[in-house]
Parts: sequence; C-alpha cells; structure tokens
Amino acid sequence: MRSVDREDGPVKVTGAATYAADHHPDGLAYGYLLTSTVARGTILAMDTAQAEKAPGVIAIYTPFHPLELRPYAKEENGELTPPIQNTDVRYYGQAIGLVVAETFEQARDAAALVSTRCDAERPRASFTDGLPSAVGTSVVDVLADGVSSIDEALDAGDVTVTATYTTPAETHVAMEPHATVAFWTGDQVTVHTATQGVRLVVDRLSETLAMDPARFRVINPYVGGGFGNKWDMWPHTPLTVAAARALGRPVKTVLTREQVFTVVGHRPLTAQTVSLSAARDGTLVAVKNDGVSSKSASNGFHEQPANLSLALYGSANLHVSRKAVTLDVPATTIMRAPGESNGSFALESALDELAGELGMDPVDLRRKNDTPVHPATGLPWSSKHLAECYTVGAERFGWSRRSPRPGTVTDGDWLVGLGMATATYGAGRGQASINVRLRDDGRAVVSGTAADLGTGQSTVFAVLAADRLGIPVGRVVPELGDSATPPAANAGGSGSTSTNGPAVQLAADAAKEALVKLATEHEKSPFHGQEVTFSAGEVRSGGDGMPFGELLTSLGVAAVEATATSPRNPVRDHAFRSFGAHFCEVRVNRWTGEPRVTRWSCVVDAGTIVNATTARSQIVGGVVMGIGQALLEDLRIEPETGRFGNATMADYLVPINADIPPIDVEFLNYPDTLLSDLGARGIGELGNVGAAAAVANAVHNATGKRIRDLPITLDKLL
Amino acid sequence: MDLSSQRQAVDGQVEVAFKVNGTAERLRVDPRTTLLDALRERLQLTGTKKGCDRGQCGACTVHVDGRRVLSCLTLVAMVEGREVTTIEGLAEDDQLHPVQRAFIECDGFQCGFCTPGQIMSAVAVLREGHATTDAQIREAMSGNICRCGAYPAIVEAVKQARS
Ligand code: FES
Ligand code: FES
Repeated sequence: MRSVDREDGPVKVTGAATYAADHHPDGLAYGYLLTSTVARGTILAMDTAQAEKAPGVIAIYTPFHPLELRPYAKEENGELTPPIQNTDVRYYGQAIGLVVAETFEQARDAAALVSTRCDAERPRASFTDGLPSAVGTSVVDVLADGVSSIDEALDAGDVTVTATYTTPAETHVAMEPHATVAFWTGDQVTVHTATQGVRLVVDRLSETLAMDPARFRVINPYVGGGFGNKWDMWPHTPLTVAAARALGRPVKTVLTREQVFTVVGHRPLTAQTVSLSAARDGTLVAVKNDGVSSKSASNGFHEQPANLSLALYGSANLHVSRKAVTLDVPATTIMRAPGESNGSFALESALDELAGELGMDPVDLRRKNDTPVHPATGLPWSSKHLAECYTVGAERFGWSRRSPRPGTVTDGDWLVGLGMATATYGAGRGQASINVRLRDDGRAVVSGTAADLGTGQSTVFAVLAADRLGIPVGRVVPELGDSATPPAANAGGSGSTSTNGPAVQLAADAAKEALVKLATEHEKSPFHGQEVTFSAGEVRSGGDGMPFGELLTSLGVAAVEATATSPRNPVRDHAFRSFGAHFCEVRVNRWTGEPRVTRWSCVVDAGTIVNATTARSQIVGGVVMGIGQALLEDLRIEPETGRFGNATMADYLVPINADIPPIDVEFLNYPDTLLSDLGARGIGELGNVGAAAAVANAVHNATGKRIRDLPITLDKLL
Repeated sequence: MDLSSQRQAVDGQVEVAFKVNGTAERLRVDPRTTLLDALRERLQLTGTKKGCDRGQCGACTVHVDGRRVLSCLTLVAMVEGREVTTIEGLAEDDQLHPVQRAFIECDGFQCGFCTPGQIMSAVAVLREGHATTDAQIREAMSGNICRCGAYPAIVEAVKQARS
C-alpha cells in the first residue's frame, strides 16, 4: 500500500487552486437568484420596476420575462423542470428569477427590491402526517421453501425484536457554495461550474438550451466538496449560461449559503420499521424492513433505506418494502451513501437490540450471520473479509473491555459506552476512457473527465500512472474536470477509482506502446529498427536506455499519447460490495445528557487501496459525517410553511473540530481481482455507513437508553 | 473606526487604501463591499473563500494586522491603513510556510475549500501560543468548519507545525 501526499496539495494550501467562483473573465457581470417565500402556489405578479432602476442593474429575468429553457430529457437526482418557465411555486426557496448587475453588491441589493405576489396554498410539509398515505413502489420477499409469509417466518424464531427508526432530512453543506461562471465566444460557451461530473453538465445544458453538446466546454478541476449535492445541475447553472448568452457578456452566479439549502437538493427523511427474528444461538431466521422516504413534489428521487436489509446478513427469509411520502419541499437528492446510510442506522441498531435480547455480544451476533453469499440473490461475494474486520477492529479498539450491561461504566461525571456497527457499500465498475500523454519534458499527463471532490482521485491517477510507467509520482500531471478530455466516471457512488483506475492503467500501457513504436520506427531514433522495451520510464534496447523525455526531445516530438477504454465489469456470477467495521466510545454527561464521541476505530475491506493517505481521509470524512448524522444534523421543515427553519450554517449543525476524536483507520487491502486487475472497490461512502448506528449503540451501552430517532440530542438522553 | 478620514466620492463610492500581502492597494468601492469580496472580486485574490458570508464557517479567515479576522464580516472600508495577509501571502520566496507544509504532510484537507481559512487560523493560533494540548487545538480551530471532516489531520498538522 502506497502513502503519497496529495498531488494537488501545494495549490490547495497556497490558495492557487481555482474553484468555479474563482474565475473572473473580462467584462464579468454578477447574477443573483430570486427565490420564493412560499412553499406552494402560483406567482401572480413580480414587480421589478424599482429594481430595474437600481444602480448597475443590467437585466432581471422572471417567469414573466424568462430566459427560454427546454425541459430536461431525464432526471439525475435533481429537478425535472428548468427554472422560471412557468409561475408554479413548488417549494420555499425555489429559484424564481435572476438579477444581473455590474457588481455583486448591486445585484444582491436590487434582488431585495423585487416584490412578488403569490397565490399561496398550504404545503404538504409533514412527513409524519404523510406516513399513513405513503405510496409504495415495490416489495421484495425472499422466503424459504414452505414459508408463506415473512410474518410466519418471524413467528418461527426464538427471539424477535421490532422497532421503528426515523431519520430527519439532512443536507450536504459542502463548503463550496454552488457557483457557475459562463462566457460565450461566438456560439461556443465555456462554463466553470461546481460539479461532480463535467459531462453531466454538458448533457443537461445541451438539453435545456437545445444546443449540440460539442458547443459546451465545462471546466472544473477543483470542487469544494460534493457529497452528492453537485451531481445533477441545479437552476442557477442554466440561468447563468442563458443570461450570459442573452447579454453577450460573462456572468457569474454564486448561491448564497441560504440559497444552497433550498435551490439544490437535500437528503430525504426516512422511517423504517424493522423486525428481526433469531434462533437462540443468534442465527437470523427472518429480517423484515418496511422503509419509507420523503420525496419532493419537484422530482422523483427518494431513498430506499430498507434495501440494505437484503444485502448484509444471511437469513432464510427476507422482506423489504419501499414507500414514499410526497412533500412540497426542495428537491430530494442523493447524499453520501444514499439509502444505505439511513438503512444501516436502522438495521445496525436493530442488530444491537437483538444482541441485547439474546444476551450475545454484538460482534458475535454479526459474525454468526456473516454470509459468503449475497443474502437475497445467493451469488457469492467476490471478495469479502468482514469477519477479519471484526477481529482486527475489536483488537485495535479494545472491544473486550465493553461491559455487556448498559449504564454500568462511569468516569467522573460521564457515563461511558462502547458500540459497534458494520460498514458496507455496494461496489461496481463502469466504463471509462483515459488519455495518457508522454511529453518531451519527461512528464506524463493523465486526463479524463473524472472529478476530484477532495476524494484524492487526482492523486490516485498520478500513483497508478507513475507505477505503470515506472516514474516518480511527481512527474505525472493529472488533468481532471475538463469536458474536452475522454469520458471517464463522474464522482459518485464510490465508483471513481474502481472505474477510472483500470482505465488509467490501460492508457499508460497504450502510451508506452505508442512510445516504443515511435522509438523503433522514427528514422532519427537511436533505437530505429531495434527490439526495444519500456521500463522505469526509459526506452531500452540491450544495455542502453534513454528516458522517454530525452528521446522525445531528441526526435523533436512534443509528445506521444494514447487513449484507452476500460469496459464495464462483465462478471455476472458474483456480487460486489465493500465492507468494514466501526467501533466507538461515547461518553454521556450524567447531568446534562451531552453525548461526546471520544474514540473510534474503523477497519476497511474495500479491495486494493491505491493511496493509503487519501483513502484514510476518505474514511475519516465519512465517519465524521456519520457522527454529525448521529448527534447533530437535522434539517427542520416547518410544517405550516414548508420552510427549512434552520437554513444557515449557524443553525444546521455539522461537526466542528472539537466534536471529533482521533480516528483510527486500518485497511485490509485484499485486491478484489474479480472486479478488476487493479482490485480496487470504493471508499467514498463506506466510512459513513454504520457510523451513526455505532454511536447510537454506544449511547445505549453508556446509558441504557435506546434512541431510535436521529439525531441523538441531549434532550433525548435526559 | 474613523470614517471621517475617508473621502466619500459623489457617486457614493468610498476610497480605501490598505496593504495586502505587503503590496499597497487603493480601491474605490461600493461602501457595502466586504473585505472578502474586495479581495476576491476586485483584487482577484481568490484564495480566500466564501463559505457562508455570515461569519459562520471560517472559510474567509485572513489576518488584519496579524490577528485572525473573518473577512466576510469586515467591510473593506474598515481596513483603511491596515495590513492584510491572505493565504497567498503566507509562503515566502516560494518556500511554503511550515503550517502549509504540515497540512500537506498530514493530509489536513480533502477538497481544500476550507483550507486557506484553516491555515490562516492555524498560523494565528500558533502565534497566540495557547495551543498546547490537543483539546486546546481542537477548541481554537473550531471556528473553521471542514465538511470533508479533516479535523483529526488538522490537529496533527497544527501539532507538527508547532514543533
Ligand atoms: S465566509 Fe466568512 S465565516 Fe463563512
Ligand atoms: S477540506 Fe473540504 S471542507 Fe475542509
């Protein structure tokens, strides 16, 4: 396992990395969104007269004076309809206009002068009220021979637990607010926009502006966090691009933090009723999970949190259902480990409850139900070392010190508890193309449309190419986030390294071949007509070697390059998933009920780890977000107004430095050779899954209180 | 703050003279302009980031006369005659500041968007001299949110730069 410093470290610590909003083309004008202040209804009128007269104002676009945008061809976890094409208001904080002015201050202040009259209706804004009328999408039943229903199977166990677990809406709060800068040159447009995939932006823009994709160049090498929130394109982007075209000058629109809470999507609320039934020895005989998610009226995405119950533990009988409650709220979208994060909170809490009922150690119960095959499909796992994660984690963490009796360990004013949970996330490999260019300066440029949201993807490119070419990592130049490069995987679903990594290796090999061909065929080449090989960055023949940069320079060739495509994973007879185990210590203040996470160990089985340095940060980041999910995060919808009541960074709490203990991460690093020769699965979501349940289980161990409704705030512990 | 010393132009703009990273700057600005927006949009010093524009995240942290300040809560007119240091001014002669080096070596960031603010805070925290325990470092660095969750590595970086 290599440990390499982030290749983009120097530009990120000096402020030289250019994020979308950092671009400043000449003649730039500033856009500022207008947003709705009711959650449902129709806009009757927008009075822009005063704003139009305000200093510096260039244009104001509203549904009554729109920029024409066509409907999107498909939904990518975002909104179905482009902004300001009609007067419908579907949620509070919806983009209903764009003010463009000479400066940011002028645009913002003019926006405040626009008054909007709406015919408002009462919104559907309570998930709880909507639960009885939730609409089902599908049900999966896997029943043993002779068993007629999941409830019959549940009755057959010796011990059964049933409980309902609920999670609030959450939001990503990536530190970089969404921003778009667009400028046109003739009928070509260059767009800098915060995105998890420049190709997605090209697709959406070409649909909504009804233009050939070839006319868009989207460039965005640095992304200030995404977590799912920068997957689809949101309303400010087409508005900014269209305004720049209409006005004939560059426009920059940066969402305010308050707008980020509503204009782009959030993680839906969920409720899961879980029943587990086991034999005395802990063997699960039935698992039932009825899961419900909220869903915005503006789009189709909702979580399917119960699904995880089909994939994690062996049981002869499984049942999962998925329903959704439609609300008049901003778009519901993917957020780190969509479905599985919330799904694991319920399932892993339920396992802990079952362990308590059985009088079994929670690790032993999980070991007992560890399965070499996918529980629902019966396909063998490609490479699963979950049992080793438990063993190694228990050892590193000191799990044996856990008292089986809750509420019995104290340290001064603090009740101390230990908890654990399984981590997991699905894995796969898609198709990706990558270009490798060997340059006469001895550097290798690796390019593709992939994105590095902070994941370390660009450093992974550098490491893989360097190893393949036998050159130092520092001589590889990764170029990500440019739509003009070959189509690689967008950043999402923990699929970047598993998909792009093999393509980087193939492209490096192809570039080596191209260089060898040049060396033997170029008339001026010292290797002309000879048998040559390429190793350690050199073209070699017999005892002679020449670094590729030197060879290219001597031939007057600036570069040789090759593009290679790595195909989708063809394997159909195995199931693929990453696994891990979380162990944590929580202290709860006996007087105030304040919960603090004080220790953490996580052991990861995610296939080959290409770069331990950045991989560790990915897992830590997932755990930190899980601690937020467990203890802090709660995007509150006001039931009367449909407004998010805490849409600021001061009110929507995320973990701060003082909330986070040291986090120990260990990688097992077994290559998953059925997935690819590289053997890497994915790690972006894995650390997040199970983390909240581990905290909840530790809280129970500390206090004897089982909190089934996130977040676990101190009022619930008093 | 003495605003009377500043000339108010007829068009409602104000003139501000201050130093940024050692360079004298003179700007005519809309009086509503924050130091953050002046740095980013007027001086094209975009290393300083806007995460919230409300004093809630720390991404915009810079030094004014050596003290850490949230540039989004500071009108540029308030830094008349003062010395501002941003992330771009930390490295000397292409030599990274020890805190910058420590952030790279400890992997004290992921996306890097909070990083300029984290580093400016860390430099000041070390100068303030009370970051002697891990708990103190965590507390002193808690005005800077990192949604990527690089906190443990940030603590390590501050410790490494301290020694
Ligand atoms: S941008 Fe200044 S504190 Fe967030
Ligand atoms: S590194 Fe991404 S927010 Fe801190």
